[in-house]
Amino acid sequence: MADGVTSLRLASGRGAATAAARRRRRSGWARRPGSAPGRLLSAGSSWTMRLGLFIGLAVYFVFGILPALANVVVSLTNYSGLAGSTTSFSGLSNYRALLTTERPGFMSALFTTIFFVLGVTAAQNAFGLLLAHRLQGGRRVDSVLRVLVFLPIVLGVTVVGLIWILIFDPSQGPASSLLSAFGTSSAFFGASGIALPLVIGVQIWQNLGFTTLVFIGGLKSISPEIYEAASMDGVGRWTRLRRISLPLLAPAMTINVLLAVIGSFTTYNLIYILTDGQASTMTLGMLSFNSAFGNSADLGYGAAVSVALFAATLIVAMPLVRFLRMRERRIFS
Amino acid sequence: MQAELPGRQQASRYATLSKLAGGALIVLLFFVPVLYIIMVALEPSAHFLRDPMAPPTRPAPSNFSQVWAQGDLGPELVNTVIYSVCAAALTTAASLLIAFPIARRLVAASGALYASIVVGLFLPLSIIPLFIEARDLHLYDNRIGYILLHVEPGLPLGVVLLTGFIAAVPRELDEAAWSDGCGYLRYLLRVIAPLTWSGLLITFLYSMLGVWNDIIGPVVFLVNPALFPISRGLFSFFGSNESDWTLLAAGIVIASLPILALFIATQRYFIRSAMGGAIKM
Repeated sequence: MADGVTSLRLASGRGAATAAARRRRRSGWARRPGSAPGRLLSAGSSWTMRLGLFIGLAVYFVFGILPALANVVVSLTNYSGLAGSTTSFSGLSNYRALLTTERPGFMSALFTTIFFVLGVTAAQNAFGLLLAHRLQGGRRVDSVLRVLVFLPIVLGVTVVGLIWILIFDPSQGPASSLLSAFGTSSAFFGASGIALPLVIGVQIWQNLGFTTLVFIGGLKSISPEIYEAASMDGVGRWTRLRRISLPLLAPAMTINVLLAVIGSFTTYNLIYILTDGQASTMTLGMLSFNSAFGNSADLGYGAAVSVALFAATLIVAMPLVRFLRMRERRIFS
Repeated sequence: MQAELPGRQQASRYATLSKLAGGALIVLLFFVPVLYIIMVALEPSAHFLRDPMAPPTRPAPSNFSQVWAQGDLGPELVNTVIYSVCAAALTTAASLLIAFPIARRLVAASGALYASIVVGLFLPLSIIPLFIEARDLHLYDNRIGYILLHVEPGLPLGVVLLTGFIAAVPRELDEAAWSDGCGYLRYLLRVIAPLTWSGLLITFLYSMLGVWNDIIGPVVFLVNPALFPISRGLFSFFGSNESDWTLLAAGIVIASLPILALFIATQRYFIRSAMGGAIKM
């Protein structure tokens, strides 16, 4: 969720990228290595610097890069992780199992994931945009409301999940009291068809604050003169939002759409709390986790699911990045 | 003063109204659920079972003491603080040690190293290999291991952030200090750290938040309940007392208070980094 924003900025957003490059040039980023200042360090200090860098990179490699690559290796085995069981290479059989009916679940999880990603991305950005428009002001109320919207990110998935489980508790929650006033009832997180939209809603509630703040940052970079000119010409609020804010927010939009897409493809911690993948909420991330640590101990299959998930994320994210950057270029040139 | 046109006046009244309605909706959506949890936490159990929507006539603070004892919340909070503060401090230190040589191009292939760090923001889910690694490296089900396993997740963002902050510090400072014979670590600590203070703080806070709120980590890497952080403790308590909502709500409030206090004290860093940092990095 919060991770990745700044780098996305570097990867996309032409305007900001060139600004960063300018800053870098000014501060000497582009100077050749081994130029004077480096040599000013004493031999001992130079080694300390290398050692520090090495330790940091070692942590990154051992706990970041290595496990990511090892996913592929584990996915080619029948590793169960249980003591006493033997492990052997099983070739592509885990991948074959994804596509056949031998291990049902993968295809339906793929469709659930697609629904989840579409719902979260569309709604989170639409609401984020509206909220940003409302909360961009400099008054005290606005800043208090901004903090309020950011609150769920601080509370974290466990607390957020439990809050909404209580609110949607089928027998004692306020939502069921409300429904019973209309003479109906629902199992909410236990009901197929209802659980997934609810989970999408909570996911959005959890992360909306960040989306909103990124949009507010984008709105603040739009020159107020454009709005003044528009209001002088008698342009209405709605047209202003659609014709000025929306296009000029392109860089912020790129970040928010990408964060929502990548985030919702891979996330499963909130789903783990809310439904544990029951009631048709089994996404690919949840399936990968459950295959390894839930009802079965099939680490090989779980790893294959996460490799497939990564591939699906790339297939969607790569053209999306290209499209969003083209859109930025079209608007700003 | 110019007299406003009636149409214009009406439009501004409409704008004020819609602004108020929007604000009320935000409060309803984002504050009322939190208030509701606090209300339930104060209700006597029998009262909640009778009428879950009504505010308590006589608040029952005993919920808090009961869940504190029954749910082992004290030791779990201590665990959480140890894990999140240690891991976040290590993440921040490691980020600085990586970011400085890269930002100053003091080693070969700095650009490539930076790119490889950015890749770290988009790595696939690797909890399964991490679990195998944790077991083989004896990091499984112990405190030190749990902390070490939580250093990496915040690292890429920290390096990217700090590289930007360090780039804003003039190189002339390096040259002046080093020709005076100032050592590397002393320089980082005495000159760079104070000048990139807010970058270090943001790195620390985001990493700390990540460890504090992690629920998958404690499920995969810990078995001994004495080692549980509050996230897993609370979730386990929910699993075994599913209908005991007054106690559970009190537990939620207790578990959230420390991180909430920290957030309120530091909210401008969170808000500003999300608002400005993302756009102007």
